[in-house]
Amino acid sequence: MYVPFVFIIFVSFLKDIDYSVWANFSLQNYSQLFSSVYFIIWGRSLALASVTAVLCLAIAYPIAYFLVFRVARLRNILLFLLVLPFWANFLVQVYAWFFVLERGGILNSALLKIGIISEPLRILNTQFSVYLVMLFCFLPFMVMPIYSSMEGINKSVFEASFDLGANRWQTLTRVVMPLSSSGIRTGFFLVFIPSFGEFVVPLLLGGGKNMYAGSLISFLFLETKSIEWGAAFTCLSGIVLIIAVFVFNWLLKKVFGTDRG
Amino acid sequence: MKAVRKVASYSLPVFVFFAYLFMYVPIIVLVFYSFNGGQSSHQWQGFSLIWYRELFSSVEILDALRNSLIVAFSSVALSIVMGLFFVFYSSKNILQKFLFAFYGSLAAPEVVLAVVLLSFFSFFSVPLGLTTLIAAHTLVALSYVTPILYSSFKNINVSITEASLDLGATEWQTFKKIIVPLLSPAIMGAALLVFIVSFDDFILSFFCSGPSTMTLPMYIFATIRSGATPVINALSTLLLIMSSLVVLVFTLFRVRTRVF
Repeated sequence: MYVPFVFIIFVSFLKDIDYSVWANFSLQNYSQLFSSVYFIIWGRSLALASVTAVLCLAIAYPIAYFLVFRVARLRNILLFLLVLPFWANFLVQVYAWFFVLERGGILNSALLKIGIISEPLRILNTQFSVYLVMLFCFLPFMVMPIYSSMEGINKSVFEASFDLGANRWQTLTRVVMPLSSSGIRTGFFLVFIPSFGEFVVPLLLGGGKNMYAGSLISFLFLETKSIEWGAAFTCLSGIVLIIAVFVFNWLLKKVFGTDRG
Repeated sequence: MKAVRKVASYSLPVFVFFAYLFMYVPIIVLVFYSFNGGQSSHQWQGFSLIWYRELFSSVEILDALRNSLIVAFSSVALSIVMGLFFVFYSSKNILQKFLFAFYGSLAAPEVVLAVVLLSFFSFFSVPLGLTTLIAAHTLVALSYVTPILYSSFKNINVSITEASLDLGATEWQTFKKIIVPLLSPAIMGAALLVFIVSFDDFILSFFCSGPSTMTLPMYIFATIRSGATPVINALSTLLLIMSSLVVLVFTLFRVRTRVF
């Protein structure tokens, strides 16, 4: 299983994949990649991934909190509704958003009816639509791990915390958040890592105007068929991603604490 | 002060309600318009099933469906068989130590895995098609199957295997008559999970299938790009129904998958 992974690193050093292998070992592909165009692409992908993950966290945390601590009877059905889009075809979910966002779609007609706008807005094919759809398509990936880590929290910690004089906010930030921090981190990376390589949503809903790391990879491999170059770009993107994951892991531990206190 | 408290206690349910609303409105609208009588996607022109009829008479879609089913069934069968052998024949300690390796293909973005496989195939000039597709899906499937099978294999009492071997059964007999039946709930769960993962997969198929082979998700993607027709609404609705049924089975039988 790991042979192909080692392999792509090897391919990325080749000048041309078809000729004899050892003769054209070079760093040429990499030297071409150190140009500002590619740094912008990585930056854009990092921005998309981190904004998506942070917004998902901001929305998912209250949902998980609500499901664990506030509802009892409705919990199973709400959980079911949460898991459902998780297993639904990703493309179908993305496609469904067309109905909401297009020119004559329900968002525009709703806004027109209320009178906030007088002319249909152009929402499809903008950055806004990319971020919005990414957010809602990845939301279940964030809620589920947080839910399962919160589920394990003993309810008596609330009483203990209130008895010891903490208010609600302090209980949330000093007790509940550290206890569910492993779920937060799992969820964060379940959203962050796929979003970094995402190319379907920007292509379909962003009009394909902006290149992301995923889009460039698919462009290099499928459109221009420059496999060696694509391999080099993929390897460097992998390194960028790994560094980003380490930075965010450190950051999340700083912000939310760890369950070891 | 009391009023503030009251608002605060309602704000969380309202927030959750809106989050669910945003998650479901697009899907509900999609299902709704799949029964629309006309071409339009924002004007209701009467109830009709024409798009479903069109769906089942399209050669392209049926062809894509056939490919999807072939790939899904083969990767389920291959990954389950390989997973069972991994679990049974590799000694416990080794698998325990290397179990994390099976998570590797899930930890990278799927595009990366896809191009890794693509460059592997093209280096050895393997022609892209159904075979490469099945190989790619089986690889991903294994990373779901092996941990699930292993976790329930771990719970089988060692003395059962020992008893079977003491009573004169060969290793193969023990495997076939004792281990596989004991693991059957896990096998069913894993098979269903992997089937849906493979059937819904787009990115791997997009890269590893070559120009001539098309799966159902690839068909959907191509159609959306070139301007969707209402047939896609009908197709999407059917796929949604299928995945809801699977989720229902998971919830009813309490199959534990890894993610939650």
